[in-house]
Amino acid sequence: MNDLKQKIEMAFDSIDINIPEDNRMIINISKDGVISILSYLKNAGYEHLALISCVDLINENEFELVYIVSAYMKRDDEFHDREKQNIIIKTRISRKKTRFMTVINIFENAEPYEREIYELFGINFQGHPRLKPLFLEIEYEMPPFRKNFDTRKFVDDMFGNIPEIEGH
Amino acid sequence: MRELELYYGPQHLGMVGNFSITLNVEGDRIKKATANPGYLHRGFEKLMECRTWMQNFPLVCRINVVEPDHIELIYSMGVEKLAGIEVPEKGKYIRSIYLELARVASHLFGLWAYSNMLGFDTVANWAMYHRDLILDLFEELTGARVYHIYIRPGGVRRDFPDGFEDKIIETLHTIGGKIPDYNSTFFDNRLFKKRTKGIGKLDRENAKKMGAVGHAIRATGMKYDIRKIEPYAAYDQVEWDVPTRKGGDAYSRLLTIRDEMIESVHMIFKLINKMPKKGTVYTKTPNPFKWKIPEGDAYVRCESSRGELGLYIVSDGGKKPYRAHFRTPSYSHGLTILENILAGEDIADVGNIMMSLYVVAPEIDR
Repeated sequence: MNDLKQKIEMAFDSIDINIPEDNRMIINISKDGVISILSYLKNAGYEHLALISCVDLINENEFELVYIVSAYMKRDDEFHDREKQNIIIKTRISRKKTRFMTVINIFENAEPYEREIYELFGINFQGHPRLKPLFLEIEYEMPPFRKNFDTRKFVDDMFGNIPEIEGH
Repeated sequence: MRELELYYGPQHLGMVGNFSITLNVEGDRIKKATANPGYLHRGFEKLMECRTWMQNFPLVCRINVVEPDHIELIYSMGVEKLAGIEVPEKGKYIRSIYLELARVASHLFGLWAYSNMLGFDTVANWAMYHRDLILDLFEELTGARVYHIYIRPGGVRRDFPDGFEDKIIETLHTIGGKIPDYNSTFFDNRLFKKRTKGIGKLDRENAKKMGAVGHAIRATGMKYDIRKIEPYAAYDQVEWDVPTRKGGDAYSRLLTIRDEMIESVHMIFKLINKMPKKGTVYTKTPNPFKWKIPEGDAYVRCESSRGELGLYIVSDGGKKPYRAHFRTPSYSHGLTILENILAGEDIADVGNIMMSLYVVAPEIDR
């Protein structure tokens, strides 16, 4: 893990890497560097994109996008340390300007993840071939997974006016 | 020939679960498939942000209806990692035994769905009956048949009752004794082979590219199993092997699942033999209403019966999770891989391929 850290630090400047525990590496990078670090990691053998997640950091007025990559096995029946490692890449984008680049060209299975984040957080992934709703049935005024979406008020508006059934 | 649009599911007879696929067909041949999830989207990840750490258990186990136990485990593992809780030795063994039972039950349920789809009603009934025997065990252990909420942060809820190990062994012998019958009626059957060999082929390169995990990648020959790669619970305490196949088609996937079941049963016997007789089964945790977990984030993963299951969880130091995001195996299997491998196949094989990939709709929607 430390070797990889050194290699990445050599290849990229202004990058913040820490290893909080065994087999987990957290890379903080500015939003312009995400594509290049992901392709670098893919070429280094970390070709399994496990998850793309998004965290709404409302107090800092930013979204944090989280990419988690790991490696498949090199040989079919030999276990190495490399598969144990999960690399977590974090980047921040402004809550006002919710645009980002798609990573489908690097990881094909990023497609539904990006669609989900577009729908639930309202982040627009440039270059995504079909950025349309994935789960939700109706359109919301605000993407519903944002922290300032008032779930309770929405439930009251949606279901509060249903008339009671007679006899109850 | 004219191209038509065909809606396959959620009401279609060949569909298992609340999921739908829009097929563009030319005659009997599929040109393009589009998956439409969302019939079971309940917004659990958002709801979890409004409940305390312990209150979330009834929610998380409903993320996968067929096999809730691994979701309980992954959530417990996430909380344990954030709060720095250790699991006692006996708790780890009990977790492993319980999870392997859940894996067998889930595979039997999958076998029911699959054999039903191919028209093997007898096998389907056997599988359902044998799953029920395992549910009886769960009922005795936890009080519930489907949603057990047995695993908790720090261990498991309670110890095995007296003589429970013997009951597990007896039940597994009953199921294991039926394996020759399963083989002769189903797995060695000419019809089964005809319907599955070469269908839904997923080669190694495509599997890697589209994020295949679990039995989908093991059916291409790779022993990719999180239980071996990053052992949790007591999986590093006993000897066991990861079953694989080479073909990458529906046939190989089904046989991988069968071998995995057999391996799980052997593993349970070994775990029961090695389990410590005395000791606590859980570490005490603070009052759930006042429990605050230190600020931080964690990614944990385990091997559910469908493949790599992960959880990215963030705490802001409060009583509730700040964000939780589940990486479920059916997500890439059902949305990316299914869409890709359906192109070029027959309409009759849609349900077949979908079940061989083991897609469960609630896991996709969450």
